Amino acid sequence: MSDVGGISFGPTVDLLNNAVEGAGREQVQLANNLANVNTPNFRRSTVSFKDALAASLGAPANPDELTMATDDDRQFNINGAVAPVAYDPKAQVDETTQMRVDRSNVDVDQEMAQLQQNSGYQETMAALLKNQYAWLRESIEEQTH
Amino acid sequence: MAGGFYNTIEISASALSAERLAMDVIANNIANANTTRTPQGGAFKRQLIVFAQTPEGAPQPDNGFPAFGANGSAFSSDVNKTEPNVEGVQALGIVNDNSPDRMVFDPGNPEADARGYVHYPNVQVVKEMVDMMAASRAYEANVAAIQETKSMDAASLGLLQS
Repeated sequence: MSDVGGISFGPTVDLLNNAVEGAGREQVQLANNLANVNTPNFRRSTVSFKDALAASLGAPANPDELTMATDDDRQFNINGAVAPVAYDPKAQVDETTQMRVDRSNVDVDQEMAQLQQNSGYQETMAALLKNQYAWLRESIEEQTH
Repeated sequence: MAGGFYNTIEISASALSAERLAMDVIANNIANANTTRTPQGGAFKRQLIVFAQTPEGAPQPDNGFPAFGANGSAFSSDVNKTEPNVEGVQALGIVNDNSPDRMVFDPGNPEADARGYVHYPNVQVVKEMVDMMAASRAYEANVAAIQETKSMDAASLGLLQS
């Protein structure tokens, strides 16, 4: 999902694309949790797409640490760097909490708060993405609007 | 398709129709709170709606109360690793509440039985009102969810505008 049609417009655009896409996935799960607010035995599920986003960036090596030279992927890399992981967020069922006597664990207030938060996050990321595209368009057309 | 906005609205819409059906059932219970005669004979029976998630029973721990983690330990962070296929909620059916009728001693009533008692429905109006509030609030929550999804949708569509 990081690039459309094989064209990448840079890491920032890819990251924002993934953020918008992940928020869409999260919205599906939150809507499903709310739809089943009166379903007995229902377990809520969420998408930890922000963790997947962080993992897709990886982490650079700590400059204060001594690094160990490696010449093969199978050797341990002891410099604190974390390799980027392909962005693939998955929905997970939350089996851990208990909210109500009908064994459902949906808390409407919490779901509504998360829904608002997710929606605001998605709109923010979409606005940033729109800016990125506007800059790209300016570069392509060599003029400002 | 996990990320589609229209799918998200359909999920919330499934809850809207389910909660509306619940309101119909509750309204029918209140309307028949004093109905002593039905086609099946006897007093009206209170009806209940049964909700189930679609597809039926997708994520399902069945290890007693309270719910535990997958390995049986309390407060485990274990979660089901398979992605649930979510399609909202459905009303499985409407079932009768078979609790005893409300008996009122009224020998003069033509509906009274041999001992002078009239069988009134097992509907408690206060309970129905509480159920109605729950259904109404759930309906409102899902309407709000649709509105949030719509605003996200608008933000995505706005990407096409310069």
